[in-house]
This record gives sequence, C-alpha cells and structure tokens, in this order.
Amino acid sequence: MTPRLGVAVKKLAVYVILIAICLIVFLPLLITLFASFKTSMEIGSEFSLKLPASFNFDNYGVVLEKGKFLQGFGNSMFLVAVSVVINALIGTMTAYAINRFDFRLKKIILGLFVAGMIMPGMITEISRFTVIKNLGLYNTIWAPIVIYAAANLVQLYIYTQFINGIPKELDESAMLDGCSYFSVFNKMIFPLLLPATATLGIIKAVDVMNDMYVPYLYMPSSSLRTLTTTLMYFSSSKFGSWDYLSAAIILVMLPTLLIYLLFSKYIFKGIVAGAVKG
Amino acid sequence: MKTISMQRNILLFSFLFVPVLLLLMFVLYPLFELIRLSFTDWNGMDAKQVYIGFDNYIKMFTDSSDVWLSLRNNGFYFLFHFIMIPLELAIAVVLDSKIRASKFFKTIVFMPYIINGVAISYMFAFFYSPINGGLNGILEALGLESLIQNWLTNESIVNLSLVFVSIWRFSGFHVILFLAGLQAIPQDQFEAAKIDGANSIQNFWYIIVPGVKKVLEVLLFLNVVGALQVFDIPYIMTQGGPGHASSTFTLYTLETAFKFNNFGMASAMGITMLVLIIVLNSIQKRLFNLKGVDEE
Repeated sequence: MTPRLGVAVKKLAVYVILIAICLIVFLPLLITLFASFKTSMEIGSEFSLKLPASFNFDNYGVVLEKGKFLQGFGNSMFLVAVSVVINALIGTMTAYAINRFDFRLKKIILGLFVAGMIMPGMITEISRFTVIKNLGLYNTIWAPIVIYAAANLVQLYIYTQFINGIPKELDESAMLDGCSYFSVFNKMIFPLLLPATATLGIIKAVDVMNDMYVPYLYMPSSSLRTLTTTLMYFSSSKFGSWDYLSAAIILVMLPTLLIYLLFSKYIFKGIVAGAVKG
Repeated sequence: MKTISMQRNILLFSFLFVPVLLLLMFVLYPLFELIRLSFTDWNGMDAKQVYIGFDNYIKMFTDSSDVWLSLRNNGFYFLFHFIMIPLELAIAVVLDSKIRASKFFKTIVFMPYIINGVAISYMFAFFYSPINGGLNGILEALGLESLIQNWLTNESIVNLSLVFVSIWRFSGFHVILFLAGLQAIPQDQFEAAKIDGANSIQNFWYIIVPGVKKVLEVLLFLNVVGALQVFDIPYIMTQGGPGHASSTFTLYTLETAFKFNNFGMASAMGITMLVLIIVLNSIQKRLFNLKGVDEE
C-alpha cells in the first residue's frame, strides 16, 4: 500500500465512524419525529423510518390543547429566569467575598461549601423533603427555586476561578479613586464577570429546564407542572399513545435544543469548566 | 463616617448571609438529618421516631435481596461506561484532527447530553416498544428477525437496553471533556515528536494519553458518581421492572422513602451510597496513581 493510499483509507475510516455516530444519534430522534406526524394507524402499519405521508400538525394540536404544555413551558421559563438571576447574584457576590477578603470565619465557610459538594443530588431529597414541608414551601414554585439556589456549589467554584483571574490591583486602584467595596463590586467585578455569567447562566438554564425529580416531587399540583413533569403526566393520561406522545416528546426537546444550537460555544466552555473543577 | 473596616464587615455579612443560610438549610442540615434518620424507624408522617440503632443498616445488608440486585444493576452502568472510555478518547482524537466538518460532528456528538432526559427516556421506550417499536422494525427490515426481543420486559436484557440509553446520552459529554484535554496539550510536543520520527501510535501513548490524564481522572470519578445515581432512565422506562430486574440503588432508595414511606431505611441507604461514593473513589484514585507511577 502506498503511503498516499494509506492516508486515504484512514480518512475514509474516520468518516465512516463519524457518520455511524451521527446515525446512532439521529435514528431514534428521526423515528420519533416521523411518528409525531403520523396517525396511530400509520405508526402501527408502516416502517418507522418511512417519511410521514404529510407533515400535518394534528398531533401537536392535540398535545398543546389537552396536555397543557404551554402552561408547563411558562412554569419552566419562570423557574429558569428566577434561577439564572439568583444564580448570577449569589455566585458573583459569594465569589467576591471569598476571593477578595480574609476574615475570621473564612476557613469555616469554605469548609461548609466543600462539605456541601459531597452530598449526592437526589438522595438529599429524603431529608430535604421535611425541611421544605415545614417551611410551607411544598407544592409552591418556591420549593425548586430555593433548592436550585442552594445547590449551586459547582458554579460557585467556577465563579471563584474566574474572579481569581481579575488582578487585585484593579480593585486597589479603584479604592484609591474613592470607590467603596460595594461600588468596586457593582462597577467593576460584576461587569468583568459577565462572560462567565453568560456561560454559567446558559448551563443553569439547561439544567433547570431538564430537571425532573425536584419539580416532580415538590410540585404535584397540576398548575405548577414544568415542561418535563407535564410530559410525565401526559404519558400516563389517555392521550399517552405513541402518536401524541411522540409529538409531546419533540415539543419538550425543542427548547433546550434551540438553546444548544444558538449557544453551543458557551455550553462547551461551561460544561468543561464545571467538570474539570476537581 | 463609615470606617473602611466597618464597610468591609457590612459587605461580607450582606454578601455571604443568604448563600450560607441556603447551604445550611437545604444542603448541610439535610445531610445531618439523613445520618440521624438512618438510625430511626420513621415513616415520614408520624411525629414518633424510635431510635433503633443500626437495625436499618443490618436489615439492608442481610434481609433485602433487592438492594443487592439494584446495586448489581448500577454495576452494569459503571462497567459499560468504563468500557466506552477508550472509544470516547479515540473519537475525541478524531474530532481534534484536521478533518472537514469537525465542528458539525462535535455539535452532533454532544447533542444528546443537552436534550431533556425524560424526553429521551420516553423516546427510547418507543424505540424499544414491542408493538410498533423502531428497533424491532429495523431488525425486521434488515432480515434479522431472530434478534427481535422484548427489550424492556425480558429480565436478562432489560439492563443492557437501559445502559445503551445511558451511553447514548452521556458518551458525547465524555468526548467533549477529552477534546478539551487534547486541546490543552501544547502543539510543540507533537512537532518535537514528528522531528524524532514518532508514528501516530507512539503519539497516542506518549503524548495524548499522559495529556488527558487529568480528564481521565475526572471521568473515572464522574463514572462512579453517575453510575451510582442512575435514576431517571429506569424510572421512566421500566419503573425498575419487570419486578426489580432493572431497579437501581437510587431508584430503590427513593421508592423506599416516597412510595413505601420507610424514611429510616431510605436514609440508611442514602448514607450507604455516600460512603460507597467516597470509598470507590479513593480506591479508584489509588489504583490510578499506582498506574501513573509505573508509567513514569
């Protein structure tokens, strides 16, 4: 085999592998997408990868009307908006206080944050459930909000990394110009952290949109369902046949997919920073 | 006039009060409660909580085969994700090389990780469905009728079906982590290797593998934590069934609490899981470092 032929074969192999991966990723998605335009009869009789006879949105109409997915979308959006804002405020403020000051309780507070990181997510709910209930937050939209705000430790860590990259001399010269600590934070630190806030905000938004167990456990009321829990209830309703359910699945996938395609650059950055924190 | 140190104290108090309070109330207090409840027989409703010492722990290990079954199922997720790691690294290497449309492929590879996990679970429930399901239909079209299965109700394959969903969902994430690690390797290492006449296999073993060591360590950690916490895929797709055949430790724990109202037992299982995560990780870390020393 000549070297050039070897390179060509290698290249071909690479593309075959990549295309195979694309097929694996897209196959179940395409089957579901096609089914969402088919009738129950067609799903039962046709090959799943056959294009639908027509792209009629009847299933989507039924799903939106009977499934209350718009309400679910509204609730999810509310949770996203509030969580992202709280996250940005708490994250930047805590990181500023911890990174820029030495104080008596600092070691203890840092220790508390680290201890919080070992608590595995869902298991916490066994004992957190009583706390939420005793505070009267059960079955209110505030239950997920306080939980998302408290369980922010990884993002907090990333903020601290970012703030560490802002030279302290900037703070000092601003103070010499007569700024207070508060205005150093408001006018300088917070704006300089905005790129980090954008990345972390998008990650948080995706996390909140996709979270299932917290809204499912703490907000059983039908008016408080999120996009995700709406899908769970819809699947067990009398409309849970595959024609309607496929349309519902696609609808629930769309918002995060859209965020992803628009902001994939930020998402890659944030995910990597979050994972490699250790 | 406010002194600077007073200003400082006001700032520290106002900036840290809320986050620390949230942390104490909703993360650390529940952790201590979990430990305390694990020694009680609490049913989640009554005011009465009787301390029963280590009974929950003893019962869990001696009297409940379903716990072991669930834990074994977590083992499947761990094992198969572990096996996938070399392949994920290889894909990352491919994506990192100068191929056409690498950005497009990167976007596709990572996409499943971003999609709503509940929606993915229902999608695969449809894909595996014995009536009208996509997978059996495809097998039929390929003339592979003999492979047609009840993917989610056959006890001996249900876990593999679910593990595949987990791999579909999370492998892209691992690839992206490896990719980040690869991009952090200084380019001149490859240039020096080229001058020394290294081939691509040597490049792989002597530059790439050491270069992504840190990512590898993170991944091994995430794999332990992730495999032990598998929940939504089996919960949505099989409810842990048939029987408890596809249950996982987290699924079983949360059912013990919220379905069977045995909060004492569930807390003991939660603490066990916490200990398992810590122990498995330190073992893994030690093995990893041993190997690292050997290489050097």
